[in-house]
Amino acid sequence: MDWKRTREPADAWRMTDDLHAEHGKGDPFAAAIRATRMSMIITDPRQQDNPIVFANDAFLRLTGYERDEVMGKNCRFLQGPKTDKAAVDKVRAAIEDRADIAVDLLNYRKDGSSFWNALYISPVSNDKGELQFFFASQLDVSDRKSSEHRVKADKDRFEKAVQERTSELEAALEAQTTLLHEVDHRVKNNLQMISSLIIMQSRTMKDESTKQSLSTMLARIEALSTVHRRLYQSKDVSRFDVSDFARDLVSDLLTASGRSEIKSTLDLEPIVISAEKATPVALMVNELVTNALKHAFKEKPDGTRAGRIGIKMSQPDGHFNIEVSDDGVGMADASGDASFGMRLIKSLARQLRADIEWRDAGPGTKVIISMPNEPQQKGNVS
Amino acid sequence: MIEPLKVLIVEDEALLAMELEGLVEDAGHSVVGWATSLTEARTMVDTTAADIAFVDIHLTDGPTGVEVAEYIGQKKNAMVVFMTANPKRIPDHFAGAIGVIAKPYTMNGLTSALRYLQEGVRRPPPVSVLPSGFTLSPAFETVWASSGA
Ligand SMILES: Nc1ncnc2c1ncn2[C@@H]1O[C@H](COP(=O)(O)OP(=O)(O)OP(=O)(O)O)[C@@H](O)[C@H]1O
Ligand SMILES: [Mg+2]
Repeated sequence: MDWKRTREPADAWRMTDDLHAEHGKGDPFAAAIRATRMSMIITDPRQQDNPIVFANDAFLRLTGYERDEVMGKNCRFLQGPKTDKAAVDKVRAAIEDRADIAVDLLNYRKDGSSFWNALYISPVSNDKGELQFFFASQLDVSDRKSSEHRVKADKDRFEKAVQERTSELEAALEAQTTLLHEVDHRVKNNLQMISSLIIMQSRTMKDESTKQSLSTMLARIEALSTVHRRLYQSKDVSRFDVSDFARDLVSDLLTASGRSEIKSTLDLEPIVISAEKATPVALMVNELVTNALKHAFKEKPDGTRAGRIGIKMSQPDGHFNIEVSDDGVGMADASGDASFGMRLIKSLARQLRADIEWRDAGPGTKVIISMPNEPQQKGNVS
Repeated sequence: MIEPLKVLIVEDEALLAMELEGLVEDAGHSVVGWATSLTEARTMVDTTAADIAFVDIHLTDGPTGVEVAEYIGQKKNAMVVFMTANPKRIPDHFAGAIGVIAKPYTMNGLTSALRYLQEGVRRPPPVSVLPSGFTLSPAFETVWASSGA
């Protein structure tokens, strides 16, 4: 190993090759490098175009060239048409920076066949820090590369399959949404037509009490229509905002009655209930407000029937409470349970598992409804 | 007393058109025509003078209501209110229309809308509150809604 002190190392290697290594023969380090199965070369950056100054037999076996075909040449003869230019640039930059680099490069043999070369290059400097040569080793990693490619191809295939399935499902959802909108559109049109039939029939009626019945019926159907209109106006068709509905309903019933002397007091927390509760709740509120309008306010000496109707909606823990009140005559004289309106209210209350109570509010009547209302989860389409 | 409105009805459903006509007349206004398609609507717009056209989106020749509104907009001889069960089909710019009455409307909702429109057309901006079920277009929202009662 004393040659190291007496000679420049690169010269030693050149001599090793040129002279069939008289010196190297006795040097176990050089002999190991010459005989190893790992392909190795040394290049001399101090010469024009950084030529190969040493190549071991493994390199020649890997690349298929003769020694005299590679000696003195720059390594770029290993590149070919499909070699990644960006990877080559990285190698060039590392050499300029005198830095280590490990990179996988597609290289070509003398016969034109290609292989994946796990290239490792490192600069070697002398004691004074002057760059002497580059040492490069090559490992054929074509097997690893092809399994890498296989994994990537599998992954791409899976991703494509998932993507296809997703777009199928999206299309199915889209079709369903379109269908829902179509059905919704028809239901709304039909509700409108039912109202229209009643209105037109009513117009031809002479008898006041028949007209009255028809208008009560219209009010009930319009309550349903308003529920439906509001339900599908919102983004989530499974939830229903009762407070907004109540506001609409009261203003509708009051203006429709044409009795501007009756005022309303609304105390409405924003409350959301599930869609299947919307219709019974709406019908119930409609009956109660209609009753107050119809029965609570008796004519006063001055000829007016003024009064106030109040609606309060609140949701104390897990419950949904509705209060419909008036300051009218009260229900002491009410005839009992025989009439349709009352039966309807009570049946709807049963359906909703609601407690309902009529209280004498002195003056007037206060109806209190209380029902369980589980917290509404968003996006829970039933 | 404000002068009553002359109304054009563009609606493919006979029953709804009939009822609408009744409500319009009950409220003291008059109906100058009823069209069921884009073609009919064009002729009617050219030959009659209306203040307001109630236009359904879906007509006998397809979803042509928006085109009707555009045609009326070019002629500049009436104002449009859409009347549809499918308000989502109305473009964002509303094709120049005042707004939309969503079906199913209530009898009172429509009567209130007529009063509101009468004020809006004859003595803008309207002083009544915007009736429930009536949505103004963004353009009219800025000029009518802010000044309302
Ligand atoms: N808020 C109220 N104030 C005073 N009386 C009332 C009130 N609500 C109901 N009543 C009385 O209770 C009776 C029963 O009401 P109910 O709603 O069952 O029948 P209705 O309103 O007369 O007819 P319909 O079956 O069309 O509703 C009424 O006739 C009325 O006498
Ligand atoms: Mg009743």
